[in-house]
Amino acid sequence: MDQKILKKDQIGKLYNELVGEYDFYAPINKKGNIAFEKIENPEDIVLDYLNSKIPPKSVLFPQNEVLFEYTLDEKDVEITDRQDLEQKILIFGIRPCDAYSFELFANFFSFHGDWKDDIYLKKKENTTLIGIGCNTPRTTCFCTSVNGNPFKKDNMDVFLTDLGDTYLVEGISDKGKGMVQKLSWLSDASKDDLKKAEELAKIAEESITTKIDVDTVVKNLETCFEHPVWDEISESCIGCGSCAYFCPTCTCFDVIDETDHYNNRGRRIRIWDTCQSCLYTLETSGHNPRDTKIQRCRNRIMHKFSYYPTNYDLLGCVGCGRCVYVCPANNDLRVILDKINKIEEKEDEKVVA
Amino acid sequence: MGIETDNKEIISSIRENAKWLLSENQVDVIIGYSEGTVPLSSTPIIIRKEEDVDKLIWNNLCYINLARYLAPLMPQLCDSEGNSLKIGIVAKGCVGRAVNLLAVEKQVNLDNIKMIGFNCNGIVNRSKIDLEIGEKEILDVSISGDDIIVKGHDWEKKFPYDQYINELCKVCQIKSPSATDANCVGECQELESIHDEFSDIAEFESKSADEKWAYIKDALQVCTLCYSCRQACPMCYCNLCFVDQNMPTWFGKTTQFTDIFTFHLIRAQHLAGRCVACGACSSVCPVGIDLNIITRKLEKIAKERFDYTSGLNAETIPPMMDFKMEDEEEFMLEED
Amino acid sequence: MTETILEEKKIDEKWEPKIIAFLCNWCSYAGADLAGVSRIQYPPNIRIVRVPCSGRVNPYFIIKSLVDGWDGVVVSGCHPGDCHYISGNLVARRRFAILKELLEFFGIEPGRVNFMWASAAEGERFAVLIRKVTKIVKELGPNTKFQKEWC
Repeated sequence: MDQKILKKDQIGKLYNELVGEYDFYAPINKKGNIAFEKIENPEDIVLDYLNSKIPPKSVLFPQNEVLFEYTLDEKDVEITDRQDLEQKILIFGIRPCDAYSFELFANFFSFHGDWKDDIYLKKKENTTLIGIGCNTPRTTCFCTSVNGNPFKKDNMDVFLTDLGDTYLVEGISDKGKGMVQKLSWLSDASKDDLKKAEELAKIAEESITTKIDVDTVVKNLETCFEHPVWDEISESCIGCGSCAYFCPTCTCFDVIDETDHYNNRGRRIRIWDTCQSCLYTLETSGHNPRDTKIQRCRNRIMHKFSYYPTNYDLLGCVGCGRCVYVCPANNDLRVILDKINKIEEKEDEKVVA
Repeated sequence: MGIETDNKEIISSIRENAKWLLSENQVDVIIGYSEGTVPLSSTPIIIRKEEDVDKLIWNNLCYINLARYLAPLMPQLCDSEGNSLKIGIVAKGCVGRAVNLLAVEKQVNLDNIKMIGFNCNGIVNRSKIDLEIGEKEILDVSISGDDIIVKGHDWEKKFPYDQYINELCKVCQIKSPSATDANCVGECQELESIHDEFSDIAEFESKSADEKWAYIKDALQVCTLCYSCRQACPMCYCNLCFVDQNMPTWFGKTTQFTDIFTFHLIRAQHLAGRCVACGACSSVCPVGIDLNIITRKLEKIAKERFDYTSGLNAETIPPMMDFKMEDEEEFMLEED
Repeated sequence: MTETILEEKKIDEKWEPKIIAFLCNWCSYAGADLAGVSRIQYPPNIRIVRVPCSGRVNPYFIIKSLVDGWDGVVVSGCHPGDCHYISGNLVARRRFAILKELLEFFGIEPGRVNFMWASAAEGERFAVLIRKVTKIVKELGPNTKFQKEWC
């Protein structure tokens, strides 16, 4: 049987069995913020959480990542590529929206198959995802509006459901099923357990209060590029970039070089970047195609709800709601999408309803 | 009087003054605060019509310093030729300070600004409350009497107001804008100077260098360098921030502790004598870092070394725009 | 004192601090030159960077030096009133005052960053102060707090 039970006090045992083979990442509490970090002590693992502040993209796409290092001597430059990409990674306790975000990453990092980002793709190949369903979604969650679900299992290898004192463990992918089989000490799940899990899934789905008509958004965005609604939408934005940093699907990065010239060595690093930064589109000539805040705010919405569907046939948003509760100016994405929905065409004029 | 009662009066005074300014055509737009869509927040709003004044609120969660929208001036606040509109701005004390200081630094023209002053009664400390509630969703935050009531799905918690406001608000002495009638309607005052012992940071300053370093390291470790603090600061209006400079590149932008530390250190250096102690930087931080001791230190340096408090008027030259032959130099190295 | 810090941090007794010195061209650099010409001995730990005026010294230079691994920083200019550019050193003095207070507040040992005035005729004074700075920085040990790690 693929469905097993993991008792809550057995998490430490699970950790000890897997840590030898995998780099074990799980949610921990970092001064009040839940973040996915490498676990040294299984007591640090927090699974009773709403959702992590810092998205789990930070595990495979860290905020700073060395691309390669180099050393210099008299004549030569010697480049050392990353050596640790074969290491197996386990991300434990990830939510379905975040697991789905890795699918969107796959599109970005293997751009139409023409070019592949080896570093990300190799790490992803060696990654196993053990996810957990959301018994109590936040009021800011809207995964069901963007083809998601608080109990979506498709993008996971193993899926846990919190039944109270125990977790229901289900192997989803072949990799996951194999892992569950290897954990032979897990007890079998009963029919009651399975029934309870189904009920919890149903309750969770029904408790999502935020519903957005994303189809209309995508349709309206096709024709409202120059619409004055963007002036209103970008009014309160302070241009910080928190929305991009805390978004599980944002992939933009900057590349910087750091040198230690006293020791004749250097390295190339990629760091998170945000299209909300005023320098994001600054060209070497000095021209900046997006030098106003209005254009940058517009770009973010268009990217996620217009360019992504056009280019990849996918929505660029997983409905996690982090941008909603993290935004310093409370520039609520749900309000923005609502405003876009209300754009009506009145003959040749476009007016906001 | 309870905080709740005060708030009701503040709201009606703001709306009355806003309505009057718009009806008398003294302003074209008013920047204020409106109800937030998630608990523990408020949304800055720009209104242009008298019938919209009821959208303006005040609820102790209005932590954004509205002067931030004045420099650089947003296109939404300019006319079709790019000239500034006449702007009304809902001003608690620190917003007034920022407006005055921006006028001194020639970033705004006070002829275009009308402050709607009121006596601010403090801003709720969001990160402190978040930390205490933990991983439970907060659904509602309200003020009742002198308590902050925080509610969830099936729980409720009370916090005493005066203990759960921002640390800066606890020691604030400039609760309404320091401005003349020419620039301010509502509650304003004309302050020449304030007296401050800075006893709240005396304990921190008495620690050893290693203890201070440990405290700062612990506080700044979670920083993700999102630059929300910089963007929310009304005095950080540089076109090109020093961290973004790349010919030459002075400092790294990674989240290694040295880079995080140098960002905060140099930003503090750039704000010396200019910080208006609004606490927006701490309130907006998405990971809950509290920078209040740095703000207080900057105020202390300005007051004790240069007898200066920023933003009390639009005339006094701030310390970093000036120098005197008699400046103290006790820190200089001298022969034994 | 020196022994305890070095022992504590397990540093080689032969460790010598590296101190970067920003000297203003008209006074301090000439003063250093005079010390050299007069054969006045002072520790070789300092590496000099010549700037036109102490007012040219941006706090970025000082912080970047510490980030790059320099153990100590010295900035030296003309005495107030004697600046070749009239008031460059007065502008600098306020900057340095604030930087020094902030560094101390953040927990960087006060002895790492030093400011001084030394005129073109004060070769002996220059040497005395450099000796003092070297002693202070040696006692503080290597700059491990601030230096950017290469990991």
